[in-house]
Amino acid sequence: MYSSIPKGLTDFTLLLEKGTNAVMTNKYNPFYYHGALPQFYLWVLYLSGLLLFAYYIPTIDNAYFSENLVNAWTSVDYITKQIPMGAVIRGIHRYSGDAMVITIILHALRVWVTDRYRQYRWVQWVTGIALFLLVLFVGQTGYYLVWDERSLILTRMTVSALNYLPLIGPGLSAWFLNGSAITNLTLSNFLFIHIGLSFFLLFGLWLHYVRMTRPVMTPPPAMNYILMAILMLVVFAYPISSGKMADINGTPTSFDIDWFFLFPYWVMAHVDLGVFWFLMIAGSVALTVLPLPNLYKAAAPVEAAEVVLSKCVGCRLCSLDCPYMAIDMVPAPAGSRFKLLAVVKPYRCSGCGVCVGACAFDAIDLPNLLDSDVTAQIKAMAEAK
Amino acid sequence: MSVASDKKVITLICERACDLTSVTSDSGEVKDVAGLQVVKLPCSGMIQPLMIEAAMKAGAAGVIVAGCQIGDCYYREGNRMIRDRLLGNRPPGLKKTVDRRRVLALWLARPQKDRFLSEAKEFVQMVRNLSDTPAPAAAPKPEVKAEAKKPEVAKAETKVDAQGDKKPEEKAADAKPNPSKEMPVNPDAPTEGSGPAPERP
Repeated sequence: MYSSIPKGLTDFTLLLEKGTNAVMTNKYNPFYYHGALPQFYLWVLYLSGLLLFAYYIPTIDNAYFSENLVNAWTSVDYITKQIPMGAVIRGIHRYSGDAMVITIILHALRVWVTDRYRQYRWVQWVTGIALFLLVLFVGQTGYYLVWDERSLILTRMTVSALNYLPLIGPGLSAWFLNGSAITNLTLSNFLFIHIGLSFFLLFGLWLHYVRMTRPVMTPPPAMNYILMAILMLVVFAYPISSGKMADINGTPTSFDIDWFFLFPYWVMAHVDLGVFWFLMIAGSVALTVLPLPNLYKAAAPVEAAEVVLSKCVGCRLCSLDCPYMAIDMVPAPAGSRFKLLAVVKPYRCSGCGVCVGACAFDAIDLPNLLDSDVTAQIKAMAEAK
Repeated sequence: MSVASDKKVITLICERACDLTSVTSDSGEVKDVAGLQVVKLPCSGMIQPLMIEAAMKAGAAGVIVAGCQIGDCYYREGNRMIRDRLLGNRPPGLKKTVDRRRVLALWLARPQKDRFLSEAKEFVQMVRNLSDTPAPAAAPKPEVKAEAKKPEVAKAETKVDAQGDKKPEEKAADAKPNPSKEMPVNPDAPTEGSGPAPERP
């Protein structure tokens, strides 16, 4: 158990959680909602994004209103300065994105420290990495939408990076710019990527949850209020402001970096493009293959639970209690006294034995630890003098 | 008061909860507390109420159920489930005939070995001094020591109390290991004791 993780690290986490339990009780311990926190921020992002979307205009210029310029930058400026609470909504949208990245990293760290990312959980880990990369990309496209000087540099850097790729590069950069140069169509494409891909997160989350019974998706309301209050404190303490409006003919050379989303651009600015792509792709692949079983030869393989067909009465209790949706109830063969029969999906089974505890008929067993053996051991111990 | 000092106390423990390997002998006896036996399971959720009943029937003075801190189960929900089973909120439950005073549940993280030893010592002392007379009609709920102040448990206990309003036959139904009434039983199938199944044409 916990074989691949330094023992001190796991113990430290468990003690930290114990201390938090003492203060906050285990119903409100944020450590026990580490996966629900990014999900909460996702809802906040959807709602605040919807409000921003109502006033956002995805163009880089508008020739028909040249005295009264209307474009992405001025619409964001209008949202920030003219609309009541507009700056607050914008701040919430920006900072909850940052908070989502922080909570995703904490979620991944806790899952890694407590050794809950491999074997029967590899689907959750791999989809989690894909979700994280998607969150980073969607977040970056948000920075293009403001259309200040930083957006212009980021767009040009992205185009040069995409063009570097062989074969698919030119196609990708044409898709990204929606043409061969930055035009009004580019910004509408950015808006579509930003909003459209954010809905792919929901699809990814479905894959992330699909093997779990009763996934913890929402923190308790009291915790939501506290998270919102902290977010509002940051929003009011550090108001968001845009840079100068982007001038398509200018060549800005430096920008403020946002470490949560824009760190790949920092890497891009400091190394060759070939090295950049190598680092990004190798890093993503390394994270994705972390649960590969070949890396953990010492760990004991999972032995899936087995149903004793002659004893199963089809009461569904094991299938309801299984935390990994590993037990299906199928129609019993004709002539059986009962309607249903439990069937274990071995590739989903964790070998935890919750089904054994749920069965009042001794009809399900772990092959490496029969419950009849455990009961016999208990009896022998109790009777020994 | 009859003192049965040689009776054993059985601990059913999750192998990821408090780490007792350094204090147990090879036969599974805790060195510091005489007569305290340890049975390790992959998860506290694997503990069947039947196992607790078997231990009591075989003459154990009491049973300690130990799992990880509630909220932190390696297998997600195992400790919550055995807690709910002991409290009677999730089938299969513990039989009503089991003396609730002789069952202790502890929810401790891996580094909390000392806490386990002190609680277990106290419990063994207490259980051995209990008289053998059957428990009073309204048996006390299983002790949930390391958890006692938590609001969730308080709620769970009120639910247990609410069951007092049930009719006697409902109570009897609860006491059986049989799970819920919605259990899908085939109405066409022959019932027990009515002879062999009629042959189908």
